Amino acid sequence: MNQAASTLWQQWVNVGTGSARHPTKIAVRDLDFHYSGFHALKRISFDIPAARVTAIIGPSGCGKSTLLRVLNRIYSVYSGLQASGEVWLDGENILAPSYSINRLRSKVGMVFQKPVPFPMSIRDNIAFGIRHHEKLKRDEMDDRVEQALRAAALWDEVKDKLKHNALGLSGGQQQRLCIARAIALKPDVLLLDEPTSALDPIATGRIEQLIEELKRDYTIVIVTHNMQQAARVSDRTAFMYLGELIEFGETEKIFTKPDKQQTEDYITGRFG
Amino acid sequence: MNTSALSVSERLYRRRRFRNALALILSGLATAFGLFWLIWILWTTLVNGIGALHPHLFTRMTPPPGEAGGLANALFGSFIMSALAIAIGAPIGVLAGTWLAEYARRTRLGEAVRFLNDILLSAPSIVLGLFVYAIAVKPAGHFSAFAGALALALIVLPIVVRTCDEMLQLVPNAMREAALSLGLPQWKVTVRVLWRSARPGIVTGILLALARISGETAPLLFTALNNQYWTANPVAPMASVPVAIFQFAMSPYDDWHALAWAGALVITAFVLLLSLAARWYLHRTRIK
Repeated sequence: MNQAASTLWQQWVNVGTGSARHPTKIAVRDLDFHYSGFHALKRISFDIPAARVTAIIGPSGCGKSTLLRVLNRIYSVYSGLQASGEVWLDGENILAPSYSINRLRSKVGMVFQKPVPFPMSIRDNIAFGIRHHEKLKRDEMDDRVEQALRAAALWDEVKDKLKHNALGLSGGQQQRLCIARAIALKPDVLLLDEPTSALDPIATGRIEQLIEELKRDYTIVIVTHNMQQAARVSDRTAFMYLGELIEFGETEKIFTKPDKQQTEDYITGRFG
Repeated sequence: MNTSALSVSERLYRRRRFRNALALILSGLATAFGLFWLIWILWTTLVNGIGALHPHLFTRMTPPPGEAGGLANALFGSFIMSALAIAIGAPIGVLAGTWLAEYARRTRLGEAVRFLNDILLSAPSIVLGLFVYAIAVKPAGHFSAFAGALALALIVLPIVVRTCDEMLQLVPNAMREAALSLGLPQWKVTVRVLWRSARPGIVTGILLALARISGETAPLLFTALNNQYWTANPVAPMASVPVAIFQFAMSPYDDWHALAWAGALVITAFVLLLSLAARWYLHRTRIK
């Protein structure tokens, strides 16, 4: 990090929306996103605090998933997609070509809308990702797998069938397995893209409870269609509309006294 | 609601029921028509073949007219050439299908290759036989089992390319993204996650390709030719069951006819078992 960037980062961390307990983890600055001629994100700037849950809400097509997918550059899998601007993670711009994707993705984990366990055993689902980044002995690996499954509140349900195919788990269990798989790499940030939209209310409740527990150790960014969910689980909420960040602030404030009329209209169900 | 409105809806309902019954009867008849021929073919093969089935079929060589014999050399030749053809065609097919699905999806080159592959898929097998005759048999100056396997591999190749391509395309994108989001490079995602996910379909495709080539005669006629004796030499002419059937069925001798029926029954049973195995494998891996 050069001197100027370092100074700037200190300013964001201390003076921006960050605080001593929850300093800024990710600072998004003037982020634009284009695909096939469409301007999907328009000059987005906001700060994601560490060890908090930040929710991104907005109607379909507003760019909330796109924004999330920039944070681990998963969009770069497809050609013709282009992000410009800056996204600072711990003081380094992850959009800089020199920032290794491999390193970024080991620091920023992601869980998707549909639970997608790999077609292998429960244990291998967790161990598979770890093996690529670290060389562990068998018993160390067993510990890591157990840790990850415990952290995802799945251990008690699967400890006797670690060798079973993960596709045999229920939808809710599969999604917790995906969370375990992501946190097994010991990331700093966890991105959740509508993680409960394919689950029933009971499984949803368990995931929400899990998010509450995980935020002690991880910076969580969740995209959700469900406004009650955003209100329940998040500390900060960003409201997006047509590719713009309309309002960002404390969740309680966004849901009780938003500054912008559009935000109020959306959360009270007048559109969206 | 008055009575005339009721009768209108009743009439509409009756007409719908009539159309439904008519469509059901027509589709049932179409199914019966198709099944009728299949059952007739299987029945004829069974009746004619079962009389000629004898343990000698698997132990003795193809005989001259008027002598007792079997199809041992032809069965062995079919086995060797089919195995070689799969060994050549399947790996290339899987790699090409993977390239199409994972690296060339929606590119011009990919579309062009997919189109050419479809042409190869529908190419008459005798043309493939002639092609191999021109490039492998004529320059070498003699027929060979290897040339036969090569011609069969050209049939295997497009089937495997197509199934591998389609099976990989069926793997949800979320699976790719989930694996990539763990920081894995694309080759590792492909080999360790996507192939594993598409494996039942790819294996089924290879089994069906094997079923297809085990009955092919035309590509072997000008490549492997035929051989009355047992040989395991891949650069010599080699017998195969379909060519033996062709030769024996065209002959005027009754004992050769019987052997041809027995060979037909063996091939049919093998293909049937292979299809059942493919289904069983698909079913088993799905449930697990």
